[in-house]
Amino acid sequence: MTYAPRAKHESTVSRQSTRMPDHNFRYWIIAPSVFLLLLIGLFPLIYSLVVSFQQITMTDYDTSFAGLDNYLHLFEDARLWQSIAHTLVITVIALPLELLFGLAMAHLFLEKMPGRQIFISLIVLPTVISPVVAGATWRLLFDQRYGPINQVISWLAGHEVVLLWNITPHLVYPAILICEIWQWTPFMFLILLAALSNVDKSLTEAAELDGAGFWRIFFKIVLPAIWPVMAIAILIRGVDLFKIFDVIWALTSGGPGTMTETVSIYTYVQGFQQFETSYTAAIAFLIVGLMSMVVIWAIRRMGLAK
Amino acid sequence: MSDVKISGLHKTFGQVHVLKGIDLEIPAGEFTVLVGPSGCGKSTLLRTIAGLEEVEQGNILIAGVNVNTLRPRDRNIAMVFQNYALYPYLNVFENIAFGLRARKMPDSEVRSRVHFAAEMLGITGLLDRLPRELSGGQRQRVAIGRAIVRKAQLFLFDEPLSNLDAQLRDEMRGEIKRLHQDLGITMIYVTHDQIEAMTLADKIVLMRGGVIEQMGAPLTIYERPANRFVAGFLGSPKMNFILGDVINRGSSHAMLLTDGETIPLPQRSGGWGQSIVLGIRPQHLERSEPITSVNEVRLKRTIEIVQPTGSRTYITINIGGAQCIAETESMEIGRPGELIELSFDLSHAVFFDPISGAALV
Amino acid sequence: MALNRRLNLFGRYILACCLLVFFVFPIYWLFIISFKTPDEIFHFPPVWYPKNIQFANFSVLFKDGDAISVLNSLILAGTSTVIAMVFGTMCAYSLVRFKTGGENFAVWVISQRLMPPIAIIFPIFLLYVYLGWVDTYGGLIILYTAFNLPYVIWMMRGYIEDIPLELEESALVDGCSRWRVLWKVVFPMARTGLFATAVFTFVFAWNEFIFALVLTRTEVVTYTVQVTHYFGGQSNFWAKIAAMSALGTVPVFITVSLLQRFLVRGISMGAVKG
Repeated sequence: MTYAPRAKHESTVSRQSTRMPDHNFRYWIIAPSVFLLLLIGLFPLIYSLVVSFQQITMTDYDTSFAGLDNYLHLFEDARLWQSIAHTLVITVIALPLELLFGLAMAHLFLEKMPGRQIFISLIVLPTVISPVVAGATWRLLFDQRYGPINQVISWLAGHEVVLLWNITPHLVYPAILICEIWQWTPFMFLILLAALSNVDKSLTEAAELDGAGFWRIFFKIVLPAIWPVMAIAILIRGVDLFKIFDVIWALTSGGPGTMTETVSIYTYVQGFQQFETSYTAAIAFLIVGLMSMVVIWAIRRMGLAK
Repeated sequence: MSDVKISGLHKTFGQVHVLKGIDLEIPAGEFTVLVGPSGCGKSTLLRTIAGLEEVEQGNILIAGVNVNTLRPRDRNIAMVFQNYALYPYLNVFENIAFGLRARKMPDSEVRSRVHFAAEMLGITGLLDRLPRELSGGQRQRVAIGRAIVRKAQLFLFDEPLSNLDAQLRDEMRGEIKRLHQDLGITMIYVTHDQIEAMTLADKIVLMRGGVIEQMGAPLTIYERPANRFVAGFLGSPKMNFILGDVINRGSSHAMLLTDGETIPLPQRSGGWGQSIVLGIRPQHLERSEPITSVNEVRLKRTIEIVQPTGSRTYITINIGGAQCIAETESMEIGRPGELIELSFDLSHAVFFDPISGAALV
Repeated sequence: MALNRRLNLFGRYILACCLLVFFVFPIYWLFIISFKTPDEIFHFPPVWYPKNIQFANFSVLFKDGDAISVLNSLILAGTSTVIAMVFGTMCAYSLVRFKTGGENFAVWVISQRLMPPIAIIFPIFLLYVYLGWVDTYGGLIILYTAFNLPYVIWMMRGYIEDIPLELEESALVDGCSRWRVLWKVVFPMARTGLFATAVFTFVFAWNEFIFALVLTRTEVVTYTVQVTHYFGGQSNFWAKIAAMSALGTVPVFITVSLLQRFLVRGISMGAVKG
């Protein structure tokens, strides 16, 4: 029998002469993850984009091409811009306060003291609670009549004080901020405490011997040392604050009126209560687009992926 | 027992060309040492033989079979790593048995093989321990045991002794040599340590910059280095290199050093060129005795540094602008600043081209 | 000097205790309400501690069937955690060992963790309506798995990087397939990291609210959504809010306190290696 398996064999070998049989293993093992990540990472972007060019509402499943109408409407939508403003207000107030309080607390617990670990373990508990439960808890605490907060204020004032925390316009923001700061200062505290403990003691001690004061040592030595970790904590918290939803949902539901409506709450209302499907898609696309740019820039800047 | 044939092997990592056309034949049962400075490609070559790096160009044949596309586990090789690569969550027995379990070997066979290897290495008492409870030397024995039980056709060692202290290293070196004599398996051993290379190898393969500079039996390379790099790499302290101009003295040639000294040159068919580098090993630069050979060169120099090591003493002197070391057995050689008379036999000298570095024979 | 230091320590204790009160009192209040009788809850001035501990508020939850939401949370968080751990660890291994996808892929993966859920959930909701996946275990498990994957990949990447390459290479030479290396070397070597990451992944899924709010109706309502069901326009079901919150929070407290030493690395996404 004459056949030419040899030639055939050689051609297959020469074609893949540099590859071992399990070369594709690397792709097999990322396939399931990539598939699932596309569901939340790519599909929403594309689908939002498509729907945002249509005119779908609750009453009217109108898939005809709407051009940029929905996007133009974004600019005229005062409520959207207000919700962005609300979100930014909460972010720019809460983030520095959490950072400062966290840093101060980290300094307080940096030195050894008996029972330190117990204090730390208890103080970090708020961070692991579900944000919606945290909001509910503070709603109970802020209750005008049966909540303990008004009671304490009454004691301090010496007469009965009734503050309507989640209704009175000038009190809703303090209420939300107190809850946010309560829940997330321990997060900053824990991370900064770990970062501070990792600062090389010989550096600070040498500076102390040279006569540098606390603040000088902090800004010249400690801060640069903890900055990489601090930057990541700020990124995580900043992004979280921009997404804020659960706490406000439980505490004020965006009220009174639309006073505490954040971007997430407003998007929810448009999409799931007023069923402005196409318009909500435009908002979603805008948010994801903007956030992607900011987040990817920050991640690259910090070299997180290296 | 298998032979290994490597031809035209190339490897690049990104922009870096790590192996630039390696051709190498390793006869069955031989102990081959790949040696060279760090970054010379010796480890990459070993890892490519193991199948841990893919072949880009060229061929690797083990026992006549092209293994280019075979996975490491299909090549029937055993490998000992620098950091021992012991699994911290398995005890010594299971560490040694790991490869056998992967091949689904029956339990009784696993048991007998592990005990055989443990006895051979004197670690029978440690089989129940975890790696973290072992000393460095014991861990290295376990790592070797794991290779032995495999009964592989080829043993690869990747700098196995570089994490051990000097004394243990000497001990384990002897152990590995004995292992090779007992098992007779083909072994390829990577090291940057020229003493390990000299003591262990049947054949040394000296690499630099992704190419093989020279290969051969240790003493052959030591005495007849192909170039200045090889000459300088093997031997400790390093060979002394002295640069000089070639001058014509009638029918013969001589070398003129910068300090005015002249050294006669042997006859050479091709002539000597403009200038030349003379290489002489420290142990061949001896304190002068009454003349014994016609080829002897005598030099009188000032002692600069004296470094006694106990058995031998290193003396630093200046010859023709080069710091040279002479190695003597005697203790009483004088102090720095004093004069000393040294001599060497020209037959021990090696000459190199100052530009290409190639040895001139 | 010694006196000064003692005063200093005393001052630090005072401060620490004030902080403790601020951070722990709200949790105390939540739990204490769940043990109070209606009279004590709706009493003015507030009752600072209940006269008797009673569990009626909890038994109501079980009697009414509301407690099933805790079971739902357990099923959703548990299943999605297991799947995310398996897939995520495999993916992380590929990222570390083969640099699959390079830096761009890694950046993309981690950026998914930071996307606003509301913008993701809206198109997903439309898709799920179309597929009939709203209010199903499967739909939510897939979403939770996907949403937790970036975290798992990110954390496991750090833990896998700590595994010496030699261990894997030695196993490959010794006769293991790539899969066996993953199973017999990588998983055991990363087991503490796997465990810690799994717990945090579980807690994130357990505490999740917005996806569950949008995608559940009656069948797979989670405890976080159930809590918000008790908010009324005029009157709130205080006892139920507190009891349900306590039911959902106790397991988190227990698991996290068992994992104290992984806490920093877990919440900082690996920025601090504890």
